[in-house]
Amino acid sequence: MKLPHHKLGDTRPAGETGVWLTSMGLSIGLFMVLALLGLILVNGIRVFWPKPVIRIELVPGSASIQRDQLIVGGIISSTRDRMIPQESGKAVEREWHIQVGNKDAYGQSFRYIAIDDAASTEFPIDAIVIERMEYGHAVGLPVALALPNGDRLEAGADDFDAALSRALIEVRKHRKELLKIEKKQIGRINHAMTRLRLAPGKLATPEGIEQQAALQAAYEKLAAEAARLRAELANGQLIIRLFTGEERGIPLGQVVHVHYPNRMTVREKVAFFLHGIRAFVADEPREANTEGGIFPAIFGTFVMTLLMSLAVMPFGILAAIYLREYARQGWFTRSVRISVNNLAGVPSIVFGVFGLGFFVYFTGGSIDQLFFSNALPTPTFGTGGILWAALTLALMTVPVVIVSTEEALAAVPRGTREGSLALGASKWQTIYRIVLPAAAPGIMTGLVLAMARGAGEVAPLMLVGVVKLAPTLPIDDLFPFIHLDRKFMHLGFHIYDLGFQSPDSDAARPMVFATTLFLIALVVVLNLGAIIIRERLRRKYATGAF
Amino acid sequence: MTAPPDKKPVRYEIAASTIRVDRAMQQFIKVGGISIVTAVFAIFIFILWQILPLFAAPKVEEDAAWSVPPGPHAAMGVDEWSALAFFLDREGELTFFRIENGAIHRQRLPLPDGERMTASRYHPKRQDIIVGTDQGKVLFVHLNYRASFLDGARRVEADVDASPALLVGAPGHAVLDVDMDGAGGQKIAAVIQDIDGRRTLTAALVSQRRTLIGGGAWRVTKQIDLTEQLAEPPRKALLNERADSVLVLTAGSKIQYFLRTGDELNLVQTFEPFPPESGEILADAEYLFGDDSLVCWSERGANVIFSLFNQPGKGRIFGKTKTFPALEGGVTGYAKSVRNKAFLLTGPKRASLRFATTEAIRWEHDVPYALQGGFIGPKYDSVWLLDVANRLHRLAVHDPHPESSIRAFFGKIWYEGAAEPKYEWQSTGGADEFEPKLSMVPLLIGTLKGTLYAMLFSVPLALLAALYTSQFAHPNFKRFVKPIMEIMASLPSVILGFLAALWLAPLVEQRVPSFMLLILALPLSSVVFGALWNRMPYSIRKHIRQGYEFIFIVPLLAIAAYAAWKLGPLIESMFFVARDLSTGQPVADFRLWWVQTTGLPFEQRNSLVVGLMMGFAVIPIIFTIAEDSLSNVPPSFRSASLALGASRWQTAIRVILPTASAGIFSAIMIGFGRAVGETMIVLMATGNTPIMDFNIFSGMRTLSANIAVELPEAPHHSTLYRALFLGAMLLFLMTFFVNTLAELLRHHLREKYKAI
Repeated sequence: MKLPHHKLGDTRPAGETGVWLTSMGLSIGLFMVLALLGLILVNGIRVFWPKPVIRIELVPGSASIQRDQLIVGGIISSTRDRMIPQESGKAVEREWHIQVGNKDAYGQSFRYIAIDDAASTEFPIDAIVIERMEYGHAVGLPVALALPNGDRLEAGADDFDAALSRALIEVRKHRKELLKIEKKQIGRINHAMTRLRLAPGKLATPEGIEQQAALQAAYEKLAAEAARLRAELANGQLIIRLFTGEERGIPLGQVVHVHYPNRMTVREKVAFFLHGIRAFVADEPREANTEGGIFPAIFGTFVMTLLMSLAVMPFGILAAIYLREYARQGWFTRSVRISVNNLAGVPSIVFGVFGLGFFVYFTGGSIDQLFFSNALPTPTFGTGGILWAALTLALMTVPVVIVSTEEALAAVPRGTREGSLALGASKWQTIYRIVLPAAAPGIMTGLVLAMARGAGEVAPLMLVGVVKLAPTLPIDDLFPFIHLDRKFMHLGFHIYDLGFQSPDSDAARPMVFATTLFLIALVVVLNLGAIIIRERLRRKYATGAF
Repeated sequence: MTAPPDKKPVRYEIAASTIRVDRAMQQFIKVGGISIVTAVFAIFIFILWQILPLFAAPKVEEDAAWSVPPGPHAAMGVDEWSALAFFLDREGELTFFRIENGAIHRQRLPLPDGERMTASRYHPKRQDIIVGTDQGKVLFVHLNYRASFLDGARRVEADVDASPALLVGAPGHAVLDVDMDGAGGQKIAAVIQDIDGRRTLTAALVSQRRTLIGGGAWRVTKQIDLTEQLAEPPRKALLNERADSVLVLTAGSKIQYFLRTGDELNLVQTFEPFPPESGEILADAEYLFGDDSLVCWSERGANVIFSLFNQPGKGRIFGKTKTFPALEGGVTGYAKSVRNKAFLLTGPKRASLRFATTEAIRWEHDVPYALQGGFIGPKYDSVWLLDVANRLHRLAVHDPHPESSIRAFFGKIWYEGAAEPKYEWQSTGGADEFEPKLSMVPLLIGTLKGTLYAMLFSVPLALLAALYTSQFAHPNFKRFVKPIMEIMASLPSVILGFLAALWLAPLVEQRVPSFMLLILALPLSSVVFGALWNRMPYSIRKHIRQGYEFIFIVPLLAIAAYAAWKLGPLIESMFFVARDLSTGQPVADFRLWWVQTTGLPFEQRNSLVVGLMMGFAVIPIIFTIAEDSLSNVPPSFRSASLALGASRWQTAIRVILPTASAGIFSAIMIGFGRAVGETMIVLMATGNTPIMDFNIFSGMRTLSANIAVELPEAPHHSTLYRALFLGAMLLFLMTFFVNTLAELLRHHLREKYKAI
């Protein structure tokens, strides 16, 4: 009998097919994450990059024509495929999504134009895009500049651009001043008025009446000043010709920013891009949040997360120290540990429900009865606010901190502890001076993870105090400076609100992507931070063993 | 020789402050630690505390009684502040009784000169008294309660506004029973008279003349004699606020239902609430609040409710929807609440407060006096009972959540207008008469549906990836695979939800066949490729190092995906051709095809989209835990298996996987827990309609999304508020149960490894 002869490597191990199947699982999983991040990155970045302005002449009689107008012009916002079902399969029609702008003239700022419907296209070199305070962008060709002092400058003139930018600098200065008066100074007077009104019996005293009169006088003075600035802002116009032929004057006071996308050099484009990002991060939102920036949302998220960390850190660490260092290890601690672990898996909305019932209605209601009864029935703490939101999220993230702190404490080698005790240190001294410093990176990891979770969580916040547009920030220069009772804006809720509650979803979409990119960047940076700290920690213990 | 020191050297002494600090910190940490652990459990207790009132029995207790003018009374009632009760006697004299001091104020109803009241009817909702006279005239009298505030105290006054008398039916004959109802400028009236020994029923349409300064005089526009159509002589007529029907109780046990269309009244139904074989005889019937349901009771106290609903082939007629236990001792009086679907039945010695929607007896008790009748306070905060000794007893009712019960939340309920008992969630409606529908079942089904589709997508993918990463991949890759998966886990769900709704949903809608092909093609192509690859000679196979397969498979997957994507429309044009409803032309459109072939809806924001995106949230969780438990299997197992000649696949499947199975199960459980509670993705990526099917192309409403949608609008401590807390409790319990199970399994596994 002849045995089969095997050459090295000629055997075929059983089940290699299965290995390939499992490798598909990992590939798809990784691809999904990277594709999602890429999708958001590309869409988020695109928002700020200047896009060309196109002038399209439509084929007469085509479906894209509206109101017999053959000329369409605007910013190419994106292109998409539209599928038209037919018997032989779906026909694909490519369409431009054009931001025609000039909502005040056209009544809509976005249109879909089928590419096949275009008879001819051109990219007018002089096309101007004007970002305005109201009605979105204006798009057209510049005609002239009517300055506040009555001079008129035609668009072809050499110093047109210089004069325009000078005028805009002036406008910006005025607007800033106006904002300062309206928001800051009048806000301060309002604040004082409210305090006066809520002080029991104060308004009945002569002193109170006098104060009220003084405040009223101050208010009137400021209001007059604001009116003067407003009138000044209404002077001067930038006249443009729309692609449909009509000429329109745009008050300079309305102009936020102008650019000529079709004649920008790459350098100018980069500058525009950076300027866009800066404005997005630092400005207040306008036009029902679809224009302007997200500064209040960033600030609100930041303050809320900070408050949450302040609340969660001591309690989480305390509980972990108790469980790991003090409690007798037995069925009780074991079941407590299991429950805490579980609590990390309880849906976030349940914490929101608890926050609403316990913090807002129960605790807040009681605080109002005790300390703010003058303001009732208008609730002060008895309604959603940043404090309640922070506490709710703190409760939600406390298991994360407990679990990771416990793990960090457990990772501190027993010998370290025993060495300290043997040298005569007390238990607390050992924990405080030896164990905690050694476990600090692990505790930090937990805290950072908790912060990442808190910054991205939306569902519970919707119940306990987040709003789509908060008139004031939770921290400002008015006594008592930190207003824990105020409602606030939040990046995650901003995305939800813009994407789903916005009246103009086309206009909101770029803002949603940009905000999403910002939030993802924040969360990813926090998580990477946590991961890096953990890796360091591992290496430290890997080498630093006794 | 020196004596040993009788005290320890100084260097052994511990500073008193150190000991003090240590003790203090020990106490502090203990208190702090225990209190945080307790606080965590307080969540459960607090939520429970919020939902308990839903299931509490109402408190009904007598808190006062007054002697009032003697009866018999044709009608009685009280204003909404419970300050001024009124009694109408059989002669048409109205007596107002001030509750706080017993002051009495009498007033005769403004009847036409020389006429007597012979019949009356009281409508508590609008506080109208309908009066019929001995001369065949009908008028309606509005009790006008007004509250004025003087020095912070409320004073309620009342007067009456009467309409001019209208002539309905035969003039000169006494009205034996009367009713008139309707809102706005249109009313309907009905009178029963005795004309020469024959009982007649005349209905009349009454309308108000429009004038420039508001409503003018009422006049009868049409009279319809219904006597001929009656099966038996009439005894009582019942009209409703919509003024669209006349119900007639006959001398026997029948009820006849006439429906108004335009100016005509047509007999649409004759029914017997208590069939003859039951031995019960219909005593009386009255509408419930909302005029859609009829409460019927027999002389012996049997009590059923008939409601209007569409019956196949018969249209919208009355059918029996509810049966209550009989009231012992029989029923002598009925009163309805004008706030909800509660009603009061009184017998000679017993009173019963019942709630129609949930078919529940809220309160029933013997009373220590003989009863004449009773009524329910307009705010559903009191029940008033009048005994035969003319004492009026006020029973304070504390029943904030009459519409809730175990059955309302978890059982089928036959709501008004519905053709059958149903599980339904619809918490708010337009009208006052709306019955809140608070069944948790559609929400539970929706939660399970979303979870199911998410798990179908994520479990296979996550487990394959975990198996590969832990068993086959080169160990170097673990260092970056796990952080990437952790980042995936940390993606805020609002982002996933937004992408699901605004990016994925429109894509899926257009390309269902492509997606279906994709789901098939990816695994199929990798299996086929794997099989083929293994047939290659070693000289070729050695070019792909073991542990690097997942990189080399990427181009293959890309090709397969591209092919599936492009083939989708082809498949669609071959198999999914439907008829375009507007043009009648056949078109290849899966969406239309699905609707026309299965009859099920196709929504853009559907379960497929939710499943795919929620998979995103669940995959990293399952992956991480499963990968951990697979990696933690002692390496000796693996070495032994490989040494015995098993291939790496055989080792993984036959040795590692069974050993780690508990851990994998716990990974799936924890993933399930996450999917159950996920809020933002389902909130954004579905239409949030509470439906009860598992159609993959329709949406759902989950418990969590329901809370997010409704709780911000729910008034504090209302039934809806507490019902939403109940939903939160269910979520809490579901996830807590599943997570505990997972945790115990994991613990068990850890012990097992320790033993090895």
